[in-house]
Amino acid sequence: MALGIFQYNSYRAEKARINVGLTKLIVTLLLASTIILLLAGVAFLIIGEAIGWALVGLSAVPAMIVEWKNGELSNLLPQKGSVSIDGLLEADILGILPHKPTPYDVATAVGRVYGGQFFAARFGIGIGFLQELASKEAGDLDSLWQEAVKLQQQTDSKVVTAGMLAVAIIKSHIDHEALLAHLQLGVDDLIKGVKWQQHIDELIASSKNPKKTGGIGRDWSFGWIPTLSRFGQNISQQVSASGLLAVKLESHQDALDRLIAILGSKGKGSAALVGPDGVGKTTIVYALADKLLHADSDLPDSLKFRQIFILDASSLISAAPGRGELEALVTRILGEAYTAKNIIICLDNAQLFFEEGIGSVDLSNVLLPIVEAGRLRIIFAMDEQRYLKISQRNAQLANALNRISVAAPTRDETIAVMQDQLIITEFRQSVTYMYQAIQESYRLSERYIHDLAMPGRAVKLLESAAGYAENGLVTAVSVQQAIEKTQDIKVSIASGAEDRDKLLNLESLIHERMINQSRAVTVVSDALRRARAGVRNQNRPIGTFLFLGPTGVGKTELAKALASVYFGGEDRIIRLDMNEYVSNHDVDRLIADGADDSGSLTARVMKQPFSVILLDEIEKAHPNVLMTFLQLLDEGVLRDVKNREVSFRDAIVIATSNAGADRIREHIERGIDIEKFESQFVDELISSNQFRPEFLNRFDEIVMFRPLDKSELLQVVDLILKDVNKTLSLQKVSVVVSQEAKEYLVEQGYDPKLGARPMRRVVQRAVENTVAKKVLSGEVEAGGVVEISLDQVSAIITAKQQADAIAAGDN
Amino acid sequence: MFLVGILSWWYGDGWKQRFLMIKDRLSHTSDYFSISILIKTLFSPYRQISAGNVSGPIGVQIRAAIDRLISRVVGMFVRLFVIIAGVLSICLQAAIGAVVLLGWMFVPAMPIIGLMIFAIGWVPLWR
Repeated sequence: MALGIFQYNSYRAEKARINVGLTKLIVTLLLASTIILLLAGVAFLIIGEAIGWALVGLSAVPAMIVEWKNGELSNLLPQKGSVSIDGLLEADILGILPHKPTPYDVATAVGRVYGGQFFAARFGIGIGFLQELASKEAGDLDSLWQEAVKLQQQTDSKVVTAGMLAVAIIKSHIDHEALLAHLQLGVDDLIKGVKWQQHIDELIASSKNPKKTGGIGRDWSFGWIPTLSRFGQNISQQVSASGLLAVKLESHQDALDRLIAILGSKGKGSAALVGPDGVGKTTIVYALADKLLHADSDLPDSLKFRQIFILDASSLISAAPGRGELEALVTRILGEAYTAKNIIICLDNAQLFFEEGIGSVDLSNVLLPIVEAGRLRIIFAMDEQRYLKISQRNAQLANALNRISVAAPTRDETIAVMQDQLIITEFRQSVTYMYQAIQESYRLSERYIHDLAMPGRAVKLLESAAGYAENGLVTAVSVQQAIEKTQDIKVSIASGAEDRDKLLNLESLIHERMINQSRAVTVVSDALRRARAGVRNQNRPIGTFLFLGPTGVGKTELAKALASVYFGGEDRIIRLDMNEYVSNHDVDRLIADGADDSGSLTARVMKQPFSVILLDEIEKAHPNVLMTFLQLLDEGVLRDVKNREVSFRDAIVIATSNAGADRIREHIERGIDIEKFESQFVDELISSNQFRPEFLNRFDEIVMFRPLDKSELLQVVDLILKDVNKTLSLQKVSVVVSQEAKEYLVEQGYDPKLGARPMRRVVQRAVENTVAKKVLSGEVEAGGVVEISLDQVSAIITAKQQADAIAAGDN
Repeated sequence: MFLVGILSWWYGDGWKQRFLMIKDRLSHTSDYFSISILIKTLFSPYRQISAGNVSGPIGVQIRAAIDRLISRVVGMFVRLFVIIAGVLSICLQAAIGAVVLLGWMFVPAMPIIGLMIFAIGWVPLWR
């Protein structure tokens, strides 16, 4: 017989069916009948009736059944050396399988038991989905069992669980990969799900194991610690009261082992846990506290039952505000800890104890002798930067500490931490997290949360996603919503009708604000559509464009229009005038820490990652500044001075340049189509050393803007007048300008060198001045229309020109 | 099947599980009364009161030594009391455990025994 055979009548299968038959109700009835029979029997014996013996004796029958159910049936072990699948199947599923099951029956059974419901809740793979995939041919069952057994061996499980059967059913379908892709899953994810369920089962089992924590006399040979108890936080007590829910991470295990070795040694037994915020330094201290409390753990005797107290700098400072009071208080606390003989002090955010300046404390003088003498075990937890700072200022203290670097966990480890953490969050917030939500939390937090390391940032995002749960279920969409709200970005694929319409009509929306330059408008619109359809490269900015052309043709205006139409407002532009970055040391300004320079590029993008980054007049920037942009354009990241990775992957980067503007104008005047001239022009820019080829190659598109002709300039005038009318709408006044006047404005406002740039000024001067006079003189009242003729416009502009000429003559 | 299943578990793994349960309870009681810790620290100063070296004139040192001695004696009595209470509890629990283990053997026979006595008609006389 092979493991592919299912024996309905096997001994184990019979037991599994008995177990299923003994429902909670029946068990309760059995218990009740035991008590009733026993009491009735005793009562009869008291009144001298021999039937009492029979009742007392019979009470043993229901009692034995309940014992059997609890002792064996509800936790039916796999059959050793089993040669058929029934010896390995989990009892709850084995008990409900029919006599001759088909894969469809197995799918139905899976959906009815805990393991199947786990998959339904965590992965969205419910009974209906499994039934759809499962064959109704009994002959297909053999391969299903074989696949499930393979998974059992792969996951080192003792039994074949419902989860494994679910995975086997899915894998048996020919198009399973495409089907899973709809759920944003792969087969590997399902196998991880099987392991996740196994891990939860192990946690539940280990929580039931009795723990030896030393008993009532444990601390009698240690001293009193009244002051320490008042100002410190006894984490050993917390761990012992509520238990510790944490996975054993490979990356943390090394740090924990070293910590135990250092604290257990006879020398200077103090350690510094060094690692970025959120990496799990405090978690290691909690894990240590838990380990020290277990009498049966493999620990040096000197560490057994030691208690860890975390000291909080701010509460100490507030308790001892006077000069010298703080030092006295800390000395008293540490003195108590030393005398007690079972205390380990942990200074979380240890840098707070060594800070200079008003409102800060520097306890180096108090702590250094204690650490150097090695009389008290102290754990200092801080980040790398702070440790280096302390080492610089107080090398003696740094030398006295044994440094332990805490490495960030791997992706799988982080996911495991999140899975454990969410047990608590689910309980507190009454929600259920889907597996896809965990994956999404990892991905998005890695990209958008910079102030914490993994796993802290992923856990933080996961927790905040609970607020966006729908019907109590936290999905990948909930996580996306959480990050969109907290970081003010768009990460989800466009799904709303309004959003989709906007994207599909982006060109016309942009053209409401700017005239022509169709190619440029199309390339940026295409980039945004690719991004929001989820088909772009996620490891680059949404789009990177170099706009070339003379001044006043709409390069900057396109960036503004884009920010306004799609990114939610013109303030969504992060604009850098590159003529302010002309020297080598300007690179530092570009990547300065936000705390020192809030206007640096990295600081602004950290604050507002979903934006248009406009690098105006890029040709004027120093070559080293351009070099700095290479990684940004290529990978969508830039490291700031603190070596933090800042993501530009949700931004559109637009660089503008006037380089070669005269050549463009010259070609246009000669009637050459500039699109055909584009590659030759780029070559000219490289050969004239205006840009390096590696810089130009980094852009998705290089777009040339051509100067606007007269008819287009008339449209620009219309746009400007539209703006003027928008402003005047508050006064309930509108302006109408005659066609001749508009043409006159175009003639006056167009400058071959400055393009349409002076146009706005000329129109505003001619129109707004006329309106202002009419409003003040009472010629126009609310609801009125101001009609402006050529004469009025020319009068104003001529007067201004004369005034300018006189001013120029005086000079 | 039902009868075979329940009886084979009762006299096999069931009995073993019951034995392990009693063993765990004894171990838990021993831990609760901290017996091994208290034996190891029987003569340590109670709560570290007056513990530690005292420097100074001989009179001060003698007084400190006496204080220390008192602390150790007090500690020894407190610990001894708890050790004895713990040992008694363990003994009592072990005795109950032994009865349970022995009684476990006869539980399946209870219905038959009960019916037999009922058939005989014997009842205890309470006076």
